[in-house]
Amino acid sequence: MDNLILALGWAGLYGPMALGAIGSMIGCSLAGQAAAGALLETETGHGRYIGISAMPSSQSIYGIVVMFALNRDLTVDNAPGLAAIGLLCGLALMFSAIYQGRSCASAINVSKIRPEIFGMSLAPAAIVEGFAVFAFIFALVISAGVPA
Amino acid sequence: MSYYTLVTALPDLPPLAKCKQMPISRIALDRRLTMLSEEDQKQLKLAESLYHFGAEQPASLPDQKLVYQWQSQLSQIQSEPVRQCIANRLEWQSFLAAMRQRQQGDKGPEQFFGFGRWTTRIRQHWHEPTFGLETALPLLTELHPLLQKGAAGEVEYQINHHLWQQLLQIERSHHFTIETVICFVLRWELAEKQIRNNADQALAAFDTMAEGLIATPAIRQHIASAFEELS
Repeated sequence: MDNLILALGWAGLYGPMALGAIGSMIGCSLAGQAAAGALLETETGHGRYIGISAMPSSQSIYGIVVMFALNRDLTVDNAPGLAAIGLLCGLALMFSAIYQGRSCASAINVSKIRPEIFGMSLAPAAIVEGFAVFAFIFALVISAGVPA
Repeated sequence: MSYYTLVTALPDLPPLAKCKQMPISRIALDRRLTMLSEEDQKQLKLAESLYHFGAEQPASLPDQKLVYQWQSQLSQIQSEPVRQCIANRLEWQSFLAAMRQRQQGDKGPEQFFGFGRWTTRIRQHWHEPTFGLETALPLLTELHPLLQKGAAGEVEYQINHHLWQQLLQIERSHHFTIETVICFVLRWELAEKQIRNNADQALAAFDTMAEGLIATPAIRQHIASAFEELS
């Protein structure tokens, strides 16, 4: 049983990083595919499409920071706490990256038609990013309560 | 498969009334549609052949057989929204056929074969101007007087505008899916057909104007003198 608890602790430790990276891969891929299509259809503004498609990569960075914040000597006492915080934070980061990728793809699609709404079209992606930041910050805050 | 690249590679089509020039040629569109999988390409082709059936259907096929053929082909369309869109388009075709048949007066309701949910109702209310469907389909009330006047072009425009709106609605409610692609291509064809019709109308108007000008004595005299000078 202790081994299982310790394994969950390790999963919680590496979870934010791994799940955040998975989300970023999917999100960047979706937005990147949309950007690639927009390159065919537009003459200018290619740089910003590529720039938007990289937006979901921030979740990987948050995941790395949370992983370092949770990093400590793993014991049966602190493993359940690390597992809960790490896995839940990782899931939040993963889903936010995927949905941010979809928002970015929509932003690329509409700003290709009307470039003047480029800034406004990014608002949904920015809001999704906000939720990822919530998950990230409060994971850091709550990790202070997990025994070292 | 993912449709993100293809959907963003498709240009924006202006509203049907403002379509004066196609933003993408058929060749360029077909090149982009090669991003679709083989199965999706088959679905698209089937949807196109049903939605814009005029060019490919043999004129000699009796109405009843044509309807059966439509029903069988429509059942092969996998996407429910696209299937509904095509069914709606074919129903409008049936309304037009019924109104024309009634106007010509050579066939009665029992000889009418239409497509879709309104066929029985059309037969039952054959002698009413809008087949008693003015509440369900207000557009019929607008089409009836136009058909009476023989304004076939205006009737076609009104129906196309209605179909355009339906396709646009589906396209906007399905992001980055096969429905988005199919509805775009169907809208592209509606726009292309309208531009082609406008070009034909412009040519006919030019011919009429030219004939009218040549018919005036002063112009005819000028032309005759110009020919004399040349000879």
